[in-house]
Amino acid sequence: MTGEQLSTLFGLMLEYAVPTLKIFAFTLLYSIPLGMVVALLKMCRFKPISWLTNIYILIMRGTPLLLQLIVAQYSVPYIVRSDICPDFIKSLLENVDIRSESYTFNMMLFAFVLNYAAYFAEIFRGGLESIPKGQYEASRCLGFGKFQTFFRIILPQVIKRVVPASSNEIITLVKDTSLASAIPYMEIMYIAKKQVPLYASLMPLFMAGVFYFVFATVLTVLFSAVEKKLDYYR
Amino acid sequence: MKKTFIARITAGLAAFAMIAAAGSCGNGGSAQTTTAAAGTPAASADDSLKKVMDAKQLVLGLDASFPPMGFTNEANEIVGFDIDVAQAVCDKMGITLVKQPIVWDNKEEDLNVGKIDCVWNGMSINESRQKAMNLSEPYMNNEMIFVVPGNSTVKTMDDLKGKTVGVQSGSSAEEILVAADLYKDITVTALEDNVTLLNQMELGFSDAVFLDSIVANYFITENSKDYVILPGNLEAEEYAIGFRKNDQALRDEVQKILGELKAEGKLAEISTKWFGRDVTTVK
Repeated sequence: MTGEQLSTLFGLMLEYAVPTLKIFAFTLLYSIPLGMVVALLKMCRFKPISWLTNIYILIMRGTPLLLQLIVAQYSVPYIVRSDICPDFIKSLLENVDIRSESYTFNMMLFAFVLNYAAYFAEIFRGGLESIPKGQYEASRCLGFGKFQTFFRIILPQVIKRVVPASSNEIITLVKDTSLASAIPYMEIMYIAKKQVPLYASLMPLFMAGVFYFVFATVLTVLFSAVEKKLDYYR
Repeated sequence: MKKTFIARITAGLAAFAMIAAAGSCGNGGSAQTTTAAAGTPAASADDSLKKVMDAKQLVLGLDASFPPMGFTNEANEIVGFDIDVAQAVCDKMGITLVKQPIVWDNKEEDLNVGKIDCVWNGMSINESRQKAMNLSEPYMNNEMIFVVPGNSTVKTMDDLKGKTVGVQSGSSAEEILVAADLYKDITVTALEDNVTLLNQMELGFSDAVFLDSIVANYFITENSKDYVILPGNLEAEEYAIGFRKNDQALRDEVQKILGELKAEGKLAEISTKWFGRDVTTVK
């Protein structure tokens, strides 16, 4: 490939790095809070809720994200057609324009968020359960309320403990955004794949790889800084 | 402790099975509705053309990596022979052409759920597609041929025995190859697009690629590659446009306009731009 072709390609990739970042940012924005809620639901003492949450996590972790993305895309037209679907849901869904770009993006985000929330929930649960019971007892003896105990004593320790595992998950998400190319949604991987035939070269894929690598490296550096900052007792 | 754990797993599995059962019931139900619904509108009125005219747009589904029929250029625009013809048709109808990239393996699904109005992307006619879609009259001839590297020892189709052949997954080329007598003597690797297959052949992943002659010829001349097309072909076939099974009015309108474009010489003009001569077979 000539230098001119390379710079055209680079410009195009840079332009479509934005949708990739969009998927990444929105998935984190919704899946982390949802993951916290799911973690609490799973630890709920009312067993049926805990079981339902377990089933949700089992399905989300037990099936490929790629399949979940495809199912999400085709879900609305299929629900509208099925007879067991109640009429009010049907009339609600019939107004959804399945040809619009926002539909593609929202359904994709829906799958990404549900999937990642399941993983985050397990990380957060692990963090919550790692705090010894003695701390709750001690804080009650010292006169702390339930809320105070959770937000001032437990949560700061949990955050410290879940950062390494969460950073792992977040870096995986950087690369998982490439699955959106199978919808197809126009992000950096889709562009790279479609540019391959044009130049009859694997350069576009290599360039996409460099992009993911740089992004993951930035996050790695960022998280090691965060971990250092949180390391205030040692 | 252990007992409750096992009890929980069993409960979870039972609930999962119930959901799965409910899900499969739902599927069966929806399949019935589709056929029932499919029966009624065809019998009463076909509003497919009106729908497209009202929306003022025709949504064309394509794979976008099938040069020269429909592919992506440097600026990430979708161009090609099919796109130019579809644009000419839409201009005549006074509507906008929307180019919607799809996954080729899911094209029938996208058509059925209404994500796209037609599949127009160098699609060969075959039995399964005739069943799944309402196809237009063929607009172009095509052959399925084998391409080998210039320095290959394979000179005829008989030399292919014991070799590895690449083919596009979900394509009619794949179906033809699987049905051919040759199939039992060769190893087939299926991949998403033809150009990746040709690149892999150059790197030694396979000995030959089985693909559309239109694509092969365009690729070889455009990139000045040292490839050889083996003499002979497995099956001659034709390209057509695919519409939804019930969209007869829309199909007929597009067919009529294609005929007009042919008579006006517009099709010949577009064909010459991409292939150097008029290869269209529209009547």
